[in-house]
Amino acid sequence: MTSQFQAMLDGLTRLRGVRGALVVSLEDGLVVAESVMGGLKGGALAAIGATLAGRAVELSGRGGFGRPRFLHLQGDDGALLVAPGHDLALVALAGRDVPIGMLRLEMLRTAERLG
Amino acid sequence: MRAVEPWVVAPLRAFVAESSARLALLMTSSGQVVAQHGFVGALDLMSVAALGAGIVASSSELAVTVGWEPFRVVAHQGKEQAHFLAWFDTPRGRWIALVVFGSETKLGLVRVFFEQLVEDLAAAAPPEEEPRREVLAADFERELNASLRALFGR
Amino acid sequence: MSLVNFTTREITCKIVYYGPGRSGKTTNLQYIYGRVPEARRGRMVSLATQTDRTLFFDFLPIDLGVISGFTTRFQLYTVPGQVYYNATRKLVLQGADGVVFVADSQARRLEDNLESLQNLQANLLGQGVDVRNFPVVLQYNKQDLPADLILTHADLDDALNFRNYRSFPGDALRGAGVFETLKGISELVLKRLAAGGAGAA
Repeated sequence: MTSQFQAMLDGLTRLRGVRGALVVSLEDGLVVAESVMGGLKGGALAAIGATLAGRAVELSGRGGFGRPRFLHLQGDDGALLVAPGHDLALVALAGRDVPIGMLRLEMLRTAERLG
Repeated sequence: MRAVEPWVVAPLRAFVAESSARLALLMTSSGQVVAQHGFVGALDLMSVAALGAGIVASSSELAVTVGWEPFRVVAHQGKEQAHFLAWFDTPRGRWIALVVFGSETKLGLVRVFFEQLVEDLAAAAPPEEEPRREVLAADFERELNASLRALFGR
Repeated sequence: MSLVNFTTREITCKIVYYGPGRSGKTTNLQYIYGRVPEARRGRMVSLATQTDRTLFFDFLPIDLGVISGFTTRFQLYTVPGQVYYNATRKLVLQGADGVVFVADSQARRLEDNLESLQNLQANLLGQGVDVRNFPVVLQYNKQDLPADLILTHADLDDALNFRNYRSFPGDALRGAGVFETLKGISELVLKRLAAGGAGAA
């Protein structure tokens, strides 16, 4: 299973500007599989991505607009993208120069395969 | 917040705030509480610390017995709250952190901020050991005897 | 190692009750638990097997009150006595400020007492403790049993007390000697602390 995840993540990190991609457990925010550039802390990205997804699930549930399919947190220097599934989430960290539309499409496709 | 040494206060307070933990205890590896912050309620902290230190000691020893490095982190997932237990080295010796957290946060986040706590404690510890201060007066035995007699109703 | 909080003026010491299986270590703690007012003790935690044999440890925190201006607390632990639990005994012994060795006075348990005492010395040495200066007291428990089954205080001193520790006769079930033993080890531990022999955290 982990090698399947690894292949999915490698597909994402091949895109220009993607610094790291991870499969994360939504329940505890721990890394299930990761492909990140040196110097990036996978554990921290996983924890932040899962926490963000958890809050979004809670808020969208209260708002009555269903389960969130994609989160995009844009900062000055890059973006944190999360595609939450049921138990797992796909998390990616992208630089400023990344084609966000392409990455989003790839993440949604990959997230579907996560189940 | 209660702490044996004042330099522990700021890093522990920051850890609890950032990780959204409900309670954090720092203890020596023999289970004596060094500092606490967060909601204690009716918890018997001494028992909690003794059991926490026992868990860390036994799981580390179990790892060594089967030929691994001692486990640094032990996590227990409950229905409503979870425990994170980890040992770390400080300038004052080996300590253990016991963190109680709920659905407000996640194990991963607690773990990330725990690493920060370890760094912050190492940076905050006074570089030189304070000179030993006099602890008990020479005639403490009279008071001890009176205390013990009172304790046993004699 | 004693924990001294100079800010709140608190002292916490760890005392371990050691000895062979079924010598009465847990009974000592149970008696103390029963005698000490609720406000001066915590919950007694017992990690025991289904047959009430100590599996890991018993734990009882007691509050001795204010001594020399310090609120003084003792954490009392027992170890599992059975021979095959040595790994657990070593863990519980870590950081101890003093040891009460509870011997079984029955003549047929003399070998067990000796083996356990040697095991204590080995485990203390293994933790870098200088056994010559470390606070230890002996309690010869079950002195209430018929005289033909037990060894006398003097006999047990001859057989076990080669380091000339303070020793007390005991009947932990009914409480005889429990108080005296605790008093004995408390004095030694605090004396050592007063002399600077145990570090303050």
